[in-house]
Amino acid sequence: MTVRKFRPPNRLAAMIKDRGGILAKDAIAAAEANVETLRDSSLAALDEALEGIEARFGATAPGRAGEDFETLYTMTLKIIDVAGFAADAGVDEAAVSLCALVDGCADAGVWRWDAVDVHLSALRLLRNVGASLPADQRRGMLDGLHKVAQR
Amino acid sequence: MPEPLNSSTRINLERATVLVLDDNGPSLDILSGVVSGFGVRTLHRAESVKDAQALIKIHTFDLIISDVQMPEVDGYEFIQWLRREGPETNRYVPVILVTGHTRTAQVFKNRDAGSNFTVAKPITPKVLLERIFWVAREERAFIECDTYVGPDRRFKHEGPPVGTDGRRKDDLQGDVGDAQEPNMSQDEINSLMKIAKVQI
Repeated sequence: MTVRKFRPPNRLAAMIKDRGGILAKDAIAAAEANVETLRDSSLAALDEALEGIEARFGATAPGRAGEDFETLYTMTLKIIDVAGFAADAGVDEAAVSLCALVDGCADAGVWRWDAVDVHLSALRLLRNVGASLPADQRRGMLDGLHKVAQR
Repeated sequence: MPEPLNSSTRINLERATVLVLDDNGPSLDILSGVVSGFGVRTLHRAESVKDAQALIKIHTFDLIISDVQMPEVDGYEFIQWLRREGPETNRYVPVILVTGHTRTAQVFKNRDAGSNFTVAKPITPKVLLERIFWVAREERAFIECDTYVGPDRRFKHEGPPVGTDGRRKDDLQGDVGDAQEPNMSQDEINSLMKIAKVQI
């Protein structure tokens, strides 16, 4: 097998050092200010995704046994995408745990509905009151979800 | 290894042309808002790999930030296309992948896609800027072979795993054990740095 090893020019490297520019702390502040304008629409998208998951995969959803793994995985990723606005509530971490659970279910080819139900209940609780929970309780809840997902 | 990003580091991305790709609109908005905040003036957005490929054929990019999980063609396949079949002007551009979760079955696909870095979602401006700074300052060689095209994946130089001999003759042992002698004094260290005349 022929292996070619070389160093192509990195244009980004040249321009990032150009005169002028801004301080990293100011760049981060400007980016955070831009993102903040998206808070309401992002949280609306998060709630919509969570409601959609509950409607199709919740404990009372009529046709959930016929749903595929990919659908729940993809819908949960949409929560993670915008969960930075609910990170203080632990929603991002709970959604990552749900993805890990669904990934495991897909590998095994079997749903673990009890674990899915626990995750959906936790996501709803964290979304509603997660930010106001004592940090150790929230941490305990997230650690519990990870254990359930990995079981 | 490149130096870390400090809050007082000055960066200039005004002239950078950046492509952000994400099939989820709200996520694409967040990515775009973050990159714009960094001072990037020429930002192209794509909501599908097909759109991104069209843009890549007509623009020269300095950085690409792409989501991984997308319908039809995912971010890994997009980067593999870019590195192997993309236009010469964009083939070696730094690429940062962003993903909410990596499936167990896709860990190797991620490693072999040819991106420079993978960042976990939800993204934060601080982490993304650190990674952009890192890929801008890294000095990794590029590798092109039958099975892989992308930045050299061996860049940490941490030696082989502890308890193994390594596959290369010059591999350092990962387990160096306890110190056998006391620490050197500052004078001893300084003496190692002293310029000395040598006879040739």
